[in-house]
Amino acid sequence: MSSDQPSNLDDLVARLAEGDRAAFTAVFHQLWTPVVKLCNGMLRNEADAADAAQQAMQKVLERASDYDPKRPALPWALAIAAWECRTILRKRSRRREVSDELVPEAPTDDQTTEMEQRLLLQSAFSAMGELSESDRETLIATFLDQAGDVGGATLRKRRERAVKRLRDAFRRLYAVG
Amino acid sequence: MPSDNLSLIERRLRRKYEWARARRAFWGFTPVLLIVAAAAALAKRPGSTLTFGALMFALGVAALWYGRDVRKAVLPGVALGLIPLVLALCANHMHHVCMGDACMSVCLPACAAGGLVAGIGMAIVGQRHRQAVGYWLAASAITLLTGAMGCSCVGYAGVVGLAAGFGIGLLPALARKLLR
Repeated sequence: MSSDQPSNLDDLVARLAEGDRAAFTAVFHQLWTPVVKLCNGMLRNEADAADAAQQAMQKVLERASDYDPKRPALPWALAIAAWECRTILRKRSRRREVSDELVPEAPTDDQTTEMEQRLLLQSAFSAMGELSESDRETLIATFLDQAGDVGGATLRKRRERAVKRLRDAFRRLYAVG
Repeated sequence: MPSDNLSLIERRLRRKYEWARARRAFWGFTPVLLIVAAAAALAKRPGSTLTFGALMFALGVAALWYGRDVRKAVLPGVALGLIPLVLALCANHMHHVCMGDACMSVCLPACAAGGLVAGIGMAIVGQRHRQAVGYWLAASAITLLTGAMGCSCVGYAGVVGLAAGFGIGLLPALARKLLR
């Protein structure tokens, strides 16, 4: 993917949200490959991944009118796709659809968890980008267990506020959670 | 994935996209039905009020579904159309005014005055935001249909009065736009 592609995609999705149908084909083709790759990676089953990718693309395009042009389009679309894949994984484990022959191909619990964690981390970094410098510093200090120049109740309050803003940014960006 | 399959998926998703926009437009515009119901309850001729109301609703949904400049015309169109509508509904309850031997319904002048104010308002809003032709056409049609719900009180003469007033109010802005 070229470096200018995401901003081009943001622009195209914003145009589609406004009702510019000329952007539809370009949006579809630019999103299809990353969505299929993500679904393949999470589901490790081509048929399920193809279904999930179609369902995810349907959700993305149906929600195109809700797209906020100030946010990057690719993480927004991938978060919807990941949600769709997680739903399929949950359904699959609930119904025990996986037959014995497919067991070797299916991802182990560890692989699925790793993939989900990687995706969550990526999404969390995008959400962190929405926060102020001081909120980011507080969260990083908390993560690294460094108290910095403040402590006690002040630090606790600061952490609470930063976590709340991070949660709000996450909701705003991905419309989930 | 073969390109035939991909284009099939694209076509299917395009239909889903259009349906989602249409659903959103329909449900987003349903509050306007309260105005139509109130106007029909207060009007002398609920049949024509409902007809104009249904046309206005259909046009509003279509404009919201289509999007772009036309979508932006819906809110100002309805808001400005409320001016002649409210004036005409008030005039409905005043029956007529007599000067000497001659009596006349106040509905017609109320519609013309309401149309004039709506036309001037439309000119101000349209000029300020430098809107395209689609915007002007959609906003004017929605304003006229909203106003016509009340202006059918004296038959189609009221609607003609509304349209004339609206046209006069809009004329200076249109002339300026054409002369540029």
